Amino acid sequence: MNPKFTLLLAWYYGIRTISRGPSYIIAALSTPLALLFLVYVLSNGALVRYALVGGFIAIVASVALQSSGDAAFFRLQLRIQDLYVASSVSPSDYMIGLTLSYLMFSLPGIILYGILGAIYHLFSLFAVLMLILVLALLVLSTSSISFIISSSIKHIRNIWGIAGILSVLMTILPPTYYPYESIKRIFLYLLSITPVTPAAVVAQYSFGLSPAMPAELYVLMGETALFFTMARYLTRWREK
Amino acid sequence: MIDVENLVKKYSDGVLALKGISFNASERVTSIIGRNGAGKTTLLRILSTQLMPTSGSVTIKGIDIIRNPDDIRNKIVSIPQEASPIGVLTAFEQVKLYLVGRRFSYSEATREANRSLNEIGLGEFKNTPTDTLSGGMKRKVFVAMALASNAEIVFLDEPTTGLDPLSRMEVWSAIRQIDSHIILTTHYMEEAQELSDEVFLMDSGSIMDKGTVGSLLKKFDGMARAETTAPCSDCIRVSNTYIRYIQKNKVQEYVEKGFTVKNVTLDDLFISRGVSLES
Repeated sequence: MNPKFTLLLAWYYGIRTISRGPSYIIAALSTPLALLFLVYVLSNGALVRYALVGGFIAIVASVALQSSGDAAFFRLQLRIQDLYVASSVSPSDYMIGLTLSYLMFSLPGIILYGILGAIYHLFSLFAVLMLILVLALLVLSTSSISFIISSSIKHIRNIWGIAGILSVLMTILPPTYYPYESIKRIFLYLLSITPVTPAAVVAQYSFGLSPAMPAELYVLMGETALFFTMARYLTRWREK
Repeated sequence: MIDVENLVKKYSDGVLALKGISFNASERVTSIIGRNGAGKTTLLRILSTQLMPTSGSVTIKGIDIIRNPDDIRNKIVSIPQEASPIGVLTAFEQVKLYLVGRRFSYSEATREANRSLNEIGLGEFKNTPTDTLSGGMKRKVFVAMALASNAEIVFLDEPTTGLDPLSRMEVWSAIRQIDSHIILTTHYMEEAQELSDEVFLMDSGSIMDKGTVGSLLKKFDGMARAETTAPCSDCIRVSNTYIRYIQKNKVQEYVEKGFTVKNVTLDDLFISRGVSLES
């Protein structure tokens, strides 16, 4: 492990990039804020707490999934990945560095949602601690999915479409903006194939919005371990 | 320094890119020249641990790099073909990040990044985001990485492809500042002549010939290349140009016949391949 490299990559490609092009933040925030507004209007404010909790999850998941575009761009277009393959940088260092960079893009959104959550008196100590745990697991799992996808495509133009589809499938369909009890259990189980679903279920319980479903926390942990391990072995580093 | 034995690379689509090549490279600057599709990039990617071969062995400084790639990676730098820096980052940031990736401390990386960028003439632009730099300057950012890394071997894959002549000369000048062993691929014969101590000629996944520029051109001693656009018998046709190799004492005669006469270069090794020369 080379934590100095991962931190510097996060600093340069996260913070410095934001300071040089704030449009990244607006792009990351636009969909979750638009959906929050939509949920607020359509439910007359009744589901706004769900949308706020779901917003934390949607921002982190969609930003991590968008990272697949950059990872593919670095590999196929800029050839930066090849540069690092032939050096002492390990695939894990590279992957964690890029993931941390994208976490920087999520931070302004998380802060904004934090302010909105405080206005709606959402937070308790338990809720905050659980949210941190859920978001950490979510960053790891969705970034791993991003790397698996980005390293398997052969043409850069394919990634933009795939990332867009995944962003919808993984942030809008799962119960991020609505109570998870609203859908039949069979659909909930089917949607649990994406780590966003168990993350949303656990978060809704932690904020006192929905009943507990303890198995979903284990599902989230299991999926995170699975996707991280898969990324470690399936991400192309030295090509065959 | 680099020993390659019977190296074969067959891609999953069936393309046989390397057909069992063997060689030893030990000069300070070795160029691998060949046309597009000759297998140069495949060879360089295998040597720099980016790509697995189908079979064969490669040892660099005694290390089996097929089985133990991590043992050589801290000793090499490889600049991929048409690599481009991350546009939003400055030249300094890219070089420093690369050096920290190679386990330099932050302070060492800062010092070496500044030194190398100044040495290759990018000091003035080091804090400019690289998407505003010219193509030649972008390429020099990678050369600065190689320069600052103090690696024992530097692999450069077509370092000047796509650059204008002036930018190419600037990059050559930057490459000359690297003290390490250099293995570079190019399809510019002029580049190989400018930079190399030893040249390998590649064609269709095989090495056709090797030697110094002088030894490879020895068969052309006392000869010149005569070109014309008018069809002529016993000439080598390259597109719409007809070429014949002549003794230098016949230059005037050929000029009067309407030929253009030029000095022989490494290009002629490819042009004349398999063609017997005029005595």
